[in-house]
Amino acid sequence: MREIRALIVDDSSVMRKIVERSLRQAGVESLVVVEAGSGIEGLEVLKAGRVDLILSDINMPAMDGLEFVRQLRSQELAEGVPVVMITTESSEEHVKQAIDAGAMGYIRKPFTADQVKQKVLSLLPTV
Amino acid sequence: MPLTLRESAHLISDPEHLKFSVLEVFETMLGVACESLRPGAEEARIGSAESVTAVVGFGGILSGACVITCDESSARQIASRLTGMEFETLDDVVKDAIGEICNMVAGAWKSRVPELAANCGLSVPAVITGRDYNLHMHSPEFKVTHLYGFDGAQFQAAIVCDQLL
Repeated sequence: MREIRALIVDDSSVMRKIVERSLRQAGVESLVVVEAGSGIEGLEVLKAGRVDLILSDINMPAMDGLEFVRQLRSQELAEGVPVVMITTESSEEHVKQAIDAGAMGYIRKPFTADQVKQKVLSLLPTV
Repeated sequence: MPLTLRESAHLISDPEHLKFSVLEVFETMLGVACESLRPGAEEARIGSAESVTAVVGFGGILSGACVITCDESSARQIASRLTGMEFETLDDVVKDAIGEICNMVAGAWKSRVPELAANCGLSVPAVITGRDYNLHMHSPEFKVTHLYGFDGAQFQAAIVCDQLL
């Protein structure tokens, strides 16, 4: 099983831990988690090294999740790396904005570990 | 024609929206079945004990806030169920947890009305702690408040609408 490096971007440290726990419950055993508290921090992490998966909140201060995804796509910081938005915003308009920005998946809070598992498996089938 | 919620105010203020949102968040994220303790509970009563209030603002087509209030013991219990950690004090993780619970209840509540889901934004959570404080909101258009509990923990959830466009 290959190692998966996941970047979790959320201004809430509690939510970052919950997302990490959900990834482990999803069966991603060889998991290395890198955390960022904002989109700006997330971009810095991506400039420093490779990740295989990005999970990001949308509603964050300083730089929101949509701008974070636009920036990482335009700066080609994580080419081909799937980005999943995990957010309380659930309208079709928000989903469309996320997809247009460059996200490949969308999970609405509150979420179950199984929902995270299904999404991760659909994006990283070799996990 | 500009989008307006005025004619559907009675649907938005339906107390069932708040109830189902709270139950969904606590069941999904904490694995607990909340009990509705006092239907029609009135104003938030912050007693002399240490308490926590989380506020997430609504903006856009509806102006207002989602408010979660509880005492210190209940806050630690909620945070413990959410994170799987134990807490002896009202530390930053507990405050963060209550803020996130409020954020999810606010999001779940607005997602129950399609016009709100698409045209009402959420602020990041603000969390207030202390004793003997009151949270004042000027002349709300409507306010839905309810008290919930599980395993001895109690908390109050409220939706306050200042203005509907």
